[in-house]
Amino acid sequence: MRWPALARNTHKWLGLVVGMQAVLWTFSGLYMTAVHLDIIHGDHLVRHAPSPPLDLADLVEPGAVMTAAPSQAVRLETQLGRPVYVVTGGPERALFDARTGDELSPLGQAAAEARAKALYAGAEAVKTVEHLSKAPPEIRGRPAPLWRVEFQGWWRPTLYISAQTGELVAKRHDLWRIFDFVWMFHIMDYQERENVNNTLLRVATWTAVASSASGAWLLIFSFRRRRRARKAAA
Amino acid sequence: MLLIRTLHKWFGLILGLQFLLWTVSGAMMALLDHHKVSGEHTVRAPAPLAAPTRLVPIGELATVIGAPIQGVTLRPLNDRYVYEVKTAAGTSMLDAASGEPVVVDAAAARGLAAAAYVGEGRITAIESVTKHGLETRGLVLPLWKVSFNDADNTTLYVAAATGDVVERRTDSWRLWDVFWMLHIMDYSSRASFNHPLIITVATGVAWLALSGVILLLRSFRRSDFAWALDGLERLRSR
Repeated sequence: MRWPALARNTHKWLGLVVGMQAVLWTFSGLYMTAVHLDIIHGDHLVRHAPSPPLDLADLVEPGAVMTAAPSQAVRLETQLGRPVYVVTGGPERALFDARTGDELSPLGQAAAEARAKALYAGAEAVKTVEHLSKAPPEIRGRPAPLWRVEFQGWWRPTLYISAQTGELVAKRHDLWRIFDFVWMFHIMDYQERENVNNTLLRVATWTAVASSASGAWLLIFSFRRRRRARKAAA
Repeated sequence: MLLIRTLHKWFGLILGLQFLLWTVSGAMMALLDHHKVSGEHTVRAPAPLAAPTRLVPIGELATVIGAPIQGVTLRPLNDRYVYEVKTAAGTSMLDAASGEPVVVDAAAARGLAAAAYVGEGRITAIESVTKHGLETRGLVLPLWKVSFNDADNTTLYVAAATGDVVERRTDSWRLWDVFWMLHIMDYSSRASFNHPLIITVATGVAWLALSGVILLLRSFRRSDFAWALDGLERLRSR
């Protein structure tokens, strides 16, 4: 077999093996580059109000809301216009009214919905409020239990509020969900969508390297042959 | 089909090099173990610290700080509890038991980095970082850069405001980062993959891949699969 025929055959067969995946890579890549990451993250879904000054007089001491568990942290912040203590770090995460010391957690449906409404930057109304005892796949690994608050609207904007602390755990909308879906094709981890070192991906990427290299090899012949053809015609 | 073949050839000539770079950088990033690249093995979680017995009353923080307070966190910092106080001017820390200011200077940064570090190396240098570089992109300045002399040249970055080890960099990461730069085509800051250059090239390369798949439909003849088909027929005729 002569060199041009060998190059063409190599490129053809490698293309057969990895060509469809190359289409998936480039189109998923195109989506991920074309839609800005800040939009994907949903930064526009929540208000970015500067934190109001806190009045530290008449508060219960933060030590009073800690348990004997080691390495706890207590954060003073404002939720729904009221100073609260968010306790994290230990096995139990909790929320307390910083003026009275009353425990506010676990949050009920009305409290979680009010939190979500106060955080949401859009004008749409709440569509559904759902209690989850386990984090769903789209917020995998986040602490549970939590409330899933979905708002009206095309892109199904959703805020996840921790039932333990009232914190905003995550924000999701369909542009994020599409990103996650194409990311799955990009890294070829069809189960967890997070292992970038899986064997399938490693084999496919090196096949793609060979495929593009053989394409470059074939290019050398493709253009020379054309010039020759023209000379022959002349 | 001839038009598609011509287009595939010319797109290949113009954008083929970037496609090759994407496949090579992608293959290298798939090859380099993500856990090693992230440097997660170079630091440990802080040792558990018993709940505090004595605390400065929170009401006194206002007079100590002397500015409107936007946030207060009582939290462990290695071997003691601190109040981390946020004002419009930034974040400062007080010892939660004594109320004394806690300043993360070079010596404190050394202690915090050494306590967090897991590995064989020893600290060779501590430098103050006040300007963003490739290794500190996205982090809040100022930082302390603590370098270790282990095989992977581990560097830990300690936030000067909070004393937290906020980033770890190793040679594994530095190598990975070169391929990441090539992959996202952001050659100066290596941070963004949402820029006009990559969107334009990705559009062209998407067509390169798609036209290649279209060409596959006409590139194969029965004779290409004779090795398999003949065998099947022989099996069937048995």
